Amino acid sequence: MINHLEARVVTKRFGGLIAVDNVSLELRPGEVHGLIGPNGSGKTTLLNLISGYYPVDDGSIHVGGEDVTRQSVQDRARLGLARTFQTPKLVLSLSVLDNAMLGGWPDVGSGFLETAFAAPRARREEANIRERASTMLQGVGLGTVMDRRADLLEHTAQRFLEIARALTMRPKFVLLDEPAGGLTEAEIERLGAIIGVIRDSGIGVLLVEHHTDFVFRTCDRVTALNLGRMIAHGSTTAVRYDPEVIRVYLGA
Amino acid sequence: MLLVIVSGLALGGLYGMTALVYNVMYSTSKVLSFGTGQFAMVGGICTAWLVLGLHLPLWLGFLACLASGAVFGWLSELIAVRRIIAASDEHLWVLSTLALSTMVQEAMAIWWGTDPTPFPRVFPQEFAGSFDQKFWLPLILAVLMAVGLEQFYRHSMIGKLFIAMSEDSFAARARGVATDRMRSLSYVLAGVLGALSGFAGGQLTFADFALGTALGLSGFIALAVGGIGSSVGALVGGGALGMLTSLTTHYFGAEYQKTIAIGLLILLLVVRPQGLFGTTQVRHV
Amino acid sequence: MKHSHLRPVIIGAFALFAALLPYITGNLYYLHVATVIGVYWVLIATLNLLVGFTGQLSVGHVGLLAIGAYAFCLLAGGQGWNPFLALLTGGAICAAIGLVLGLPSLRLPGFYFAMATLAFGLIVSELALAEQWLTNGSVGMPAPSFPTPFDTPWGFYWLVLGIATLITWMTANLARLMWGRAMVALRDSTVAAASVAVPIYMTKLMVFVFSGFTAGISGGLYATSQSYITPDAFIVNLGIYFFVAIIIGGRGVIIGPFIGAAVLAAIPELVGPLAKYGTFFYGFILLVVVLVLPGGFGELITNVASRLRREPQVSTSIEPDLVLLRTAIRVKP
Repeated sequence: MINHLEARVVTKRFGGLIAVDNVSLELRPGEVHGLIGPNGSGKTTLLNLISGYYPVDDGSIHVGGEDVTRQSVQDRARLGLARTFQTPKLVLSLSVLDNAMLGGWPDVGSGFLETAFAAPRARREEANIRERASTMLQGVGLGTVMDRRADLLEHTAQRFLEIARALTMRPKFVLLDEPAGGLTEAEIERLGAIIGVIRDSGIGVLLVEHHTDFVFRTCDRVTALNLGRMIAHGSTTAVRYDPEVIRVYLGA
Repeated sequence: MLLVIVSGLALGGLYGMTALVYNVMYSTSKVLSFGTGQFAMVGGICTAWLVLGLHLPLWLGFLACLASGAVFGWLSELIAVRRIIAASDEHLWVLSTLALSTMVQEAMAIWWGTDPTPFPRVFPQEFAGSFDQKFWLPLILAVLMAVGLEQFYRHSMIGKLFIAMSEDSFAARARGVATDRMRSLSYVLAGVLGALSGFAGGQLTFADFALGTALGLSGFIALAVGGIGSSVGALVGGGALGMLTSLTTHYFGAEYQKTIAIGLLILLLVVRPQGLFGTTQVRHV
Repeated sequence: MKHSHLRPVIIGAFALFAALLPYITGNLYYLHVATVIGVYWVLIATLNLLVGFTGQLSVGHVGLLAIGAYAFCLLAGGQGWNPFLALLTGGAICAAIGLVLGLPSLRLPGFYFAMATLAFGLIVSELALAEQWLTNGSVGMPAPSFPTPFDTPWGFYWLVLGIATLITWMTANLARLMWGRAMVALRDSTVAAASVAVPIYMTKLMVFVFSGFTAGISGGLYATSQSYITPDAFIVNLGIYFFVAIIIGGRGVIIGPFIGAAVLAAIPELVGPLAKYGTFFYGFILLVVVLVLPGGFGELITNVASRLRREPQVSTSIEPDLVLLRTAIRVKP
């Protein structure tokens, strides 16, 4: 599985609490893979393990065939792993465009001094990233507010901005942490359309979400967690009608 | 040699007390105040002024000293901390406490002058060499303060509230703890303790406007070495730094005090960032 | 990162004014003050990158200024080196010291780092007094002057102006290109910075070393501007001054700290370097700025500017352009 993103039997403990318990997950290019579970089931923890913000206690993470378990967040980002956050993590004092352009950082080859002297390569990279970022912004629908300061954006726009930044990274995989949080139905529609386009271009999307309807509409495969353990995984239909999932998550 | 050790321990007591004061303020506000050393400075100068300058009785000077600490503690919370904590930017309290500390120090320099002045004797005693009160006052008081604080945290309602706030201030507020008032109280307490340490250490340090910054730095080193949040650590860290300072002054002269002290700090922070008795902090995304 | 057509005009006008200053004012004393502003600015411009952009609160940069000053005096004066070479060497020495200081302390959280730099500043001033064999202790040492035509007040002013302009250009480049974004991201959201692969520690270190280099250069120029240096020119309070100039001026902006630097240089020069009320005044302003206007006066200016540009506050609905998105994402290596 050379070009997949994999978490293999990962475990994470916080003191006496087992937050993630021997969970395995596989994300393929060109698929939307949902990750669902009640509050406290370990979804965001798993996401943090995959992207590198927490170290695993057991198990391993692989990006595109490479074992990244010991690698930093930055190294994984450079390998093509992008993510958004449950509460948008933006640089609020910068403009929308600047925030999106940050996604171009992995492609910056110019060094510190090169930039200080405004060398041609630095200027060229700047222009390229600017173009890429503004295209992504227009693509997600933020073209009209590119020069606005990020802290003046409303919540939905901030979420879409994070997605634009992730896309500017030209990633192979995008991890979305509850991107529909606080969105209206219409906005969720648009989010779904964007996710569809991302998937069609060959990027693997991991979608952590609470809105089970949205997940089942948008995803090709789903993994369900409860109390840190995986209770079901497979095609959307299979998971949707899995008795354990129904019992734990959807009521009764 | 005994003199060297005793003076090292005395300094250690002073540094340890400052570390304890840091702890008290940190527990309720997660703020490390730049102005921590200024309580001792203000208390010391206040006493020296009242007792030696105005010839008032010592007990009055003592009370005034504590009162001055209380007032400045209360003011520093009100001015430099309360509004800042509400804002999201982490670094602002570093700046606000730095600003207030600078103002206090400079105001003292302008009013009192920049020459260190003598501090009154607390107990009538001829200079007694290694057994002189100027060494034993800070040392004994440091131990008493640490023990007293631990008892306070463990057995008094307010002390337990402080602990609750330091572990999870959000939850504390949700349970009805008046966090603003508690924080203010902790800063008043810190001010009183700081002034007390200035009173105890005054004969050692003299009433000196520059004491605040020096003590703030040394107290911080003691805190970092011992670990934030630990009273034992504060004493151990203070003791270590005090002994190191005293020994280096004895062997190398007073000029390298700060260099050696900072060296100790950097070394320890690289090897064990949480200090000897501190706990590692797990930062979550 | 901001596109305004008015800015180049303002910059041009200012540059012209600065270049012609010696002709505009015949007063040599004002020229001296302007020179000192320039000298401080060489340090503050890059310190602004460290404090304002990257958010590392270095309180003790005065220590590097001192080392640069003494290095310059010793090499160009005592050892007879070419002053320009001595200046660059002083810069290099301070860059190296910045590296040694930064390596352990940049790993520390904000307050610890500030304390460590404060401690560094105190150590340097302590050693400057103590190491008499090197620094002449409290007696101090004279500063050599630069070769003609830079040995006159006018000539020296233009030398400082030239260096300051170069440094300003370099910091402006860093600020407006990708490195500038990375630095601000580092300050405001390390999580976001890490997620786009910004090397947090390395970035801080590079900025710190760079600011060390210019602090060293500033030190040499400072020595010449004062003609004679003693340890009490480099008290820790001066370190706090620099810091304050940046915060007051506004973090992350360039024009703000410049104004801060100008005020900083002008007041002590007019009242005396150890003016008793100066430090108190600075503490007070810092407190007020932090409480009322955390972004400094620079932010006030940009707020007013954007208010004047009348940006619509109306929230716009988000209409994704899926066709565009489809083509855009397809372009991959």
